[in-house]
Amino acid sequence: MELVYFLIEAVVKVVVVFAVLMGTVAYLTLVERKVLGHIQVRYGPNRVGPFGLLQPIADGIKAFFKEEVVPAKADKTIFIIAPMISIVAALCLFAVIPFGDKIEIFGRTVSLTIADLDIGLLYVFGIASLGEYGVVLGGWSGYNKYGVIGALRAAAQMISYELALGLSVIGVLMISGTLNLGEIVQRQAGGHWNVLYQPFAFIFYLVCAIAEINRTPFDMPEAEAELACGFNIEYSSMKFSLFFMAEYAHLVAVCAIATTLFLGGWHGPFLPPSLSWIWFVIKTGVLVYFCIWERGTFPRLRYDQIMKLGWKVLLPLTLANIFFTGLIMVL
Amino acid sequence: MWDVEVAHKRLKEQFPDSILETYSFQGEMTIKVKREDILPICKFLRDDPDLAFDFLTDICGVDYPQREERFEVVYHLYSMRRNKRLRIKASVSEGEALSTVESIWKAANWLEREVYDMLGVPFEGHSDLRRILTWEGYQGHPLRKDFPLRGEDFEHYEVPAEPPDVIPKFPDTGEGQRYMILNMGPQHPATHGVLRLVLKLDGEVIVDAIPYIGHLHRGVEKLAENMTYTQAVTLTDRLDYTAGISNNLAYILAVEKLLGIEVPKRAQYIRVMLAELQRIAAHLLWLATHALDMGAMTVLFYTFRERETVLDILEHVTGARLTPSFLRIGGLAADLPDGIEGRIRAFLEDFPRRIHEYETLLTENIIWLKRTKDVGVITADEAINWGLTGPVLRGSGVRWDIRKVFPYSSYEEFDFEIPIGEKGDVYDRYLVRLEEMRQSARIIHQALDRLPDGEVNYYDPKVTPPSKELVAEEINALIRHFKLKSEDISPPPGEVYASIENPKGELGWYLVSDGSNHPYRYRIRPPCFVNLAALPEMIKGHLVADVVAVIGSIDIVLGEIDR
Repeated sequence: MELVYFLIEAVVKVVVVFAVLMGTVAYLTLVERKVLGHIQVRYGPNRVGPFGLLQPIADGIKAFFKEEVVPAKADKTIFIIAPMISIVAALCLFAVIPFGDKIEIFGRTVSLTIADLDIGLLYVFGIASLGEYGVVLGGWSGYNKYGVIGALRAAAQMISYELALGLSVIGVLMISGTLNLGEIVQRQAGGHWNVLYQPFAFIFYLVCAIAEINRTPFDMPEAEAELACGFNIEYSSMKFSLFFMAEYAHLVAVCAIATTLFLGGWHGPFLPPSLSWIWFVIKTGVLVYFCIWERGTFPRLRYDQIMKLGWKVLLPLTLANIFFTGLIMVL
Repeated sequence: MWDVEVAHKRLKEQFPDSILETYSFQGEMTIKVKREDILPICKFLRDDPDLAFDFLTDICGVDYPQREERFEVVYHLYSMRRNKRLRIKASVSEGEALSTVESIWKAANWLEREVYDMLGVPFEGHSDLRRILTWEGYQGHPLRKDFPLRGEDFEHYEVPAEPPDVIPKFPDTGEGQRYMILNMGPQHPATHGVLRLVLKLDGEVIVDAIPYIGHLHRGVEKLAENMTYTQAVTLTDRLDYTAGISNNLAYILAVEKLLGIEVPKRAQYIRVMLAELQRIAAHLLWLATHALDMGAMTVLFYTFRERETVLDILEHVTGARLTPSFLRIGGLAADLPDGIEGRIRAFLEDFPRRIHEYETLLTENIIWLKRTKDVGVITADEAINWGLTGPVLRGSGVRWDIRKVFPYSSYEEFDFEIPIGEKGDVYDRYLVRLEEMRQSARIIHQALDRLPDGEVNYYDPKVTPPSKELVAEEINALIRHFKLKSEDISPPPGEVYASIENPKGELGWYLVSDGSNHPYRYRIRPPCFVNLAALPEMIKGHLVADVVAVIGSIDIVLGEIDR
């Protein structure tokens, strides 16, 4: 009987998280366009529904009915699988993120995590890297030189920034002593947010994370000005949308992980434990807003400069951060 | 005072047998030389320290089918040191070749290719003598006078059995598949129109690059030869469509030089004011697209907000936003409308704050600096040798602006600075253009403050039409109006070259008149065309991302490159 309850609970959680996430991703495109519009002294979408609120739905319908083009010389299997890899990896990230405190429903204590893994953080980094395969394979399989260059850039960028990204959270691990994301959040209770103890690691994490998800100023694989969209140049219709959705899901994911690791997760004053997830949403929202904001502000870096930044600046700095964290802990 | 007559004397001493004929028209000296000696003469003119004709402004050809040596190739030279122009001509007959002057001025490369393409005059020793504006399989040479004008006059067109090579041949280095050939354009978001670049890449590093142009070729020069002088004004708007009024001005100044007239002061001031407003609009468009190419999206919307204001002002004055054709031979289409002064002043009031706003986003932004500093460097000597003009030349540190060296339309009465750069990289060109916008605002201020009263049209019954009121009342005016509108003006036979400082560089017109009412030759000296020729030189050794940065910094408009 316990097993049945467990299964029901898991399925309900998966469905809820999936539905909320897809809704978030859809409306995040609207939010991004609105925020950018505001930054750029224009309105943004405001034709479909009040305040353009139906725009994501219209976009979705349009994407479904667009003609699907697969280039004749493309490697068809990989071409079709690539966007799937991207979206699946982005969605799987949410399996281990603790959204809120444990709550009581129908007499059962339910934790607001789909899977409370002890190796949560390792899982996150493993899956996040898998997502890049979608980009690399997608760019390579389309039989397009711009796509290939985009794919190569994605591969190089992934390797460079994965490293610094991984190292930037080691400090948090050293303080928390666990890889379980739920426990990392628990240890930040009472306002002891990791960002207070690891401020530099937080900044490094944000920079690397933005590079990891290929957003401006690190949007090398896409770089619409020089590569004319890079890895997704040959994609159309829903396949393109999948890449698009994966990108936004990934954006939400890295912000959610930053919240979990550095900003105390769902901890916050005023709200009862059953509503603690609201704090999580607010914190993640602020980070997402930051990512949109910097897109409206910065030009794009050049490919070699990104590599230099990754290897020559961020990597030594994150290492130094680990060193000093260790030093302080020993003392 | 050094006179271009000295050049003539020195040439006479040095090449006594080669000088065939010398004459002056409207203060411009033309020396006709033997075609065999064109190379040594050009070399002498450049290398002699007293003459130092270090700048090749233009090369073009004129066709005279009735003559025995039917083609005349015209070289417009300029000496930076002496600030004098000189026109050298050489005649060749069908099939005869001229030796190339590419070894003296690199600018000659594309200009000679254009002469070859348009007239079929071959150049001996040219490194890359291919068609440039038309495609490789094209038959005939459009600027020949016997080239058919209508479709039905063409002979049956034979499609070549072998399709001409559209994939360029890079010099074989014997390294096989080591390099990737990347085709950029003509449909590409960052090539600013239908420019096609073929890049030879080693990884992402550019080893070699070949630009292909002509996708937008409309045969403007040929069209104009079959229009009257006034009709041809409308073609000028469509060259550099970001700076319509500047183009009008350059052409009209050339026609007025041909006629030997000077328009009233008020018209001159209004022309200056409109041209400077147009320069601001063009530079704003440049900044928008340049920044967008580098991923700074927001700048585009900021600059378009101000560009919109400028275009609204231009629309208020001229009735059109993009293609005004507002200037007329001998003056303007109309005087300034009521209430325009307030609008312009309001804009000028606001504008410095706006430029500051763009600068806060870019000038000290570390990413912007990384993307633009030391990219696309061209030294001052190289820039002169390539014939670069405008902000690209000034970015390399050459203080040269036609508004100062050959003041036209009363520019000598205005107080403004010529900004220059130091290194000649993308960043310097960016700073130069930003400062130019500020200086333009200054000029507009002065023009408004000191706007003279009086007529806006030169009075000459053979040039300017009578006013509408007069036409309604007097039969003589009606006849004059009718004659002028139907026959148009007929300038005296002769040839002139007049140029202005367009937002992109030196935009000039070389007009040859045979005394009829349409130009015998209507040659446009295109700034972007000449500037673009130096692109491969600037991007070699850089990365793919730098290509868009450099293209943006040259500020090309394909409408004018392809004509």
